[in-house]
Amino acid sequence: MPVGAAAAKEQVSAHGRTEGVVLHTGRGARSLLADALVGARFVPVWIATAALLLIASIIAPAALQSTSWAFVLPYMTVLAIAALGQMLVIMHAGIDLSTPGVMFLGGYLIVGVGHHSNGRLGIAILACLGVGVLVGLVNGILVGILQLNPLIVTLSVGYIVAAEGLRYANGLAEAEVPSRLSDFAQNRPLGISAVFWAGAAITLAVALLLRYSAPGRRFQAVGANPRAAWMAGIHVRAHVIFAYTAAGTLYALAAVLLAGVRVSVDPAFGASYLLAPIAAVVIAGASLAGGLASATSTWVAALALTLLNQMLLILGIATGWQFIVFGAAIIVGMLISGDRIASLLGRLLRPRSAPTRIAPALDQDTG
Amino acid sequence: MDVPKVSERRRWLLGLGVTVLAVGLLAAAAAFGGTQGTASATHANAKGGYGEVYKASPKVLAHTLFKATLLPHNTMARNISLAAFGRASKKVNYNLALKCWKNDGCSTGTGGKLTVAYVEPFGENVYRHISKMEFILQALTYKSIGKIVYRTAHSNLNQALADFRAMIAQHVSAIVTYPDFADAELPVFREAKKAGIPVATYAWGYVSGPGKNYTTVVGENVCKLGRAYAKIMNTYVKSGDIAFMGGFPGNPLSAGWQKCEQPALNKSIHVVANEPTNWDASKVQQVVSGILAAHPNIKGWSYEYGLGMAQGAFAAYKAAGKPFNAVLTLRTDDVGMGCAAKKLHNPKLKVYYYTAGNSQIRVALTALMMRLKGAKIPPQIVFPIQLQNEAKRTECVKGYPTEASATSLVPVKLLHRMYP
Repeated sequence: MPVGAAAAKEQVSAHGRTEGVVLHTGRGARSLLADALVGARFVPVWIATAALLLIASIIAPAALQSTSWAFVLPYMTVLAIAALGQMLVIMHAGIDLSTPGVMFLGGYLIVGVGHHSNGRLGIAILACLGVGVLVGLVNGILVGILQLNPLIVTLSVGYIVAAEGLRYANGLAEAEVPSRLSDFAQNRPLGISAVFWAGAAITLAVALLLRYSAPGRRFQAVGANPRAAWMAGIHVRAHVIFAYTAAGTLYALAAVLLAGVRVSVDPAFGASYLLAPIAAVVIAGASLAGGLASATSTWVAALALTLLNQMLLILGIATGWQFIVFGAAIIVGMLISGDRIASLLGRLLRPRSAPTRIAPALDQDTG
Repeated sequence: MDVPKVSERRRWLLGLGVTVLAVGLLAAAAAFGGTQGTASATHANAKGGYGEVYKASPKVLAHTLFKATLLPHNTMARNISLAAFGRASKKVNYNLALKCWKNDGCSTGTGGKLTVAYVEPFGENVYRHISKMEFILQALTYKSIGKIVYRTAHSNLNQALADFRAMIAQHVSAIVTYPDFADAELPVFREAKKAGIPVATYAWGYVSGPGKNYTTVVGENVCKLGRAYAKIMNTYVKSGDIAFMGGFPGNPLSAGWQKCEQPALNKSIHVVANEPTNWDASKVQQVVSGILAAHPNIKGWSYEYGLGMAQGAFAAYKAAGKPFNAVLTLRTDDVGMGCAAKKLHNPKLKVYYYTAGNSQIRVALTALMMRLKGAKIPPQIVFPIQLQNEAKRTECVKGYPTEASATSLVPVKLLHRMYP
């Protein structure tokens, strides 16, 4: 192992954000348990989602019927794709509030460039993705190179993009996307929405790239501790720029899928994706301070949020209470996710007298 | 001073005569100002005042109100409406209108001293863009208007209030608005009133105290809209489950018709859900799919936003693999809704709609112009409601944009230039 990399890992450990503490005194049952608990920082969202499914099957079984899934699966997929983009940014201690702007302009580009013609769908999707790449690149340069505050920068860029979207939308009379896109979204291979399968494939690809490819591992290293990564010879700024650019591309992809699901675009298109993706990422176990995150857990968190919303609706709870329950669920999700419980259990299980050894950060499961 | 004495009997006779004369005059006034028959309304009031002629083309009235008989009952309100719709037939310079529409305002070139403003808190959809064009076309029929101003706040309340205040500071002559933020805009309405600037809202953009806090509100009686919905449901659903959907939680428009539809329904009709949608098609899709999952035998939906219903509910039914067999009562007459229903070609889908009321902005402007000439404007200009059956009178007007209202008075050729 190169000296730089070893130093990087020590730095990562010292930072103490994402990595586990493994007991030095033998690999007994307690240490194995602690190891498992610490390594499983992304598990709570899976357990919470399983609990939600169980509760739904008891108090709102209609939420688990095919009619309900027909809505939940495509919309959770759109949220999951947007959340994956947000996750890449959050892994680098950033935040991206340009999501609604990119989705809004992207959606209208699908309509405007597509112009009701299936033959133009390809170029319309490329235009949409191009906007995502461009906006992400601008965000990345402003945050990564110019070191501007990501919260303010991405919000401002989002406003500019949304304004351009409005200007573009003003000249459009039609609102429907080319029929091939809506037909695709309404396709149901194996009885499940094609959008869901597409989303699952994208999620899997992101998870595998982060977990098993060298660039993915480097990407995580920068997120876990930029200083250590820099000392290890990794181009930190380039990775930050890449994070925002990839995020913008994923938002645009989410816009393509949403446009297909909704068939048409209106001024509210994408508006609900400002904070929901951030909530999904945080519930999935990521820290807003940066560090590791899990693509699959983010996907599950998106499912949980969409299903919870649908369940509350089906229960017929008054709108005010729906907001209260939904907000409370997000807070509880944040409390039980991440390394909070794992750290607590780790502290409880750690022998007081024994010295500790820090486990390498990059050995954690990030898929 | 000596005053000749009048006998007790003569005094009684004089009193009786005056009373009979007064009753006769009242009866005559009531007869001329009655609510029956529009054909008579269009002609009987073909006089005018305050710079207006109270006469409109029956063709224009039928296009924008469904029937020429559906004019406001109040005499002055009806006269204002006739004057406004009468102006819709006047020739205007479409090139100038288009330029004005694109540039968010213009000088009309008449040299008129008046400046009129259309202040939009939202302003971002085709419906509002068409309202803007209706406003411009109406303003261009007045030689006294030299300048047209348009502001949009993109759903930002602070910006909307700032825009309104900017208009007051510039001493514009009159302001028309659609108050998306309802009573939150009351302070600026009062400031305008204090500054002597008349303000009108349209399409039932209701803010408290019309006539007191501002000049007038143009639109329909939303409670009667709810009762009209109930009548349709009672006739075609008869018994079973129906659902209500509304806009933003607690908005007065949705609450207005819902509180009046519910008690007017047959006892065998059950409202199983009442959900807000924020007038967002995605949310409509979610709400419809959720309600469909919980109540698979739902027979009817009452809502305001026709296009949202077309974009959200149609997709929800399709995704659920269910035929859209239901009765829909809707407030707006969006072209997209009509075309979606036409495309579906399902006789078991019964769609009843009212009007989005783009052209009501013309009435609002004319009311303010008359106010500037000293007319006493009624606090509410209320149009009667008659729901239309999509099967008999389709909203799917060829050449109109999906989001446009089928009852708009913007000419199709101009629409094509607006949206090439």
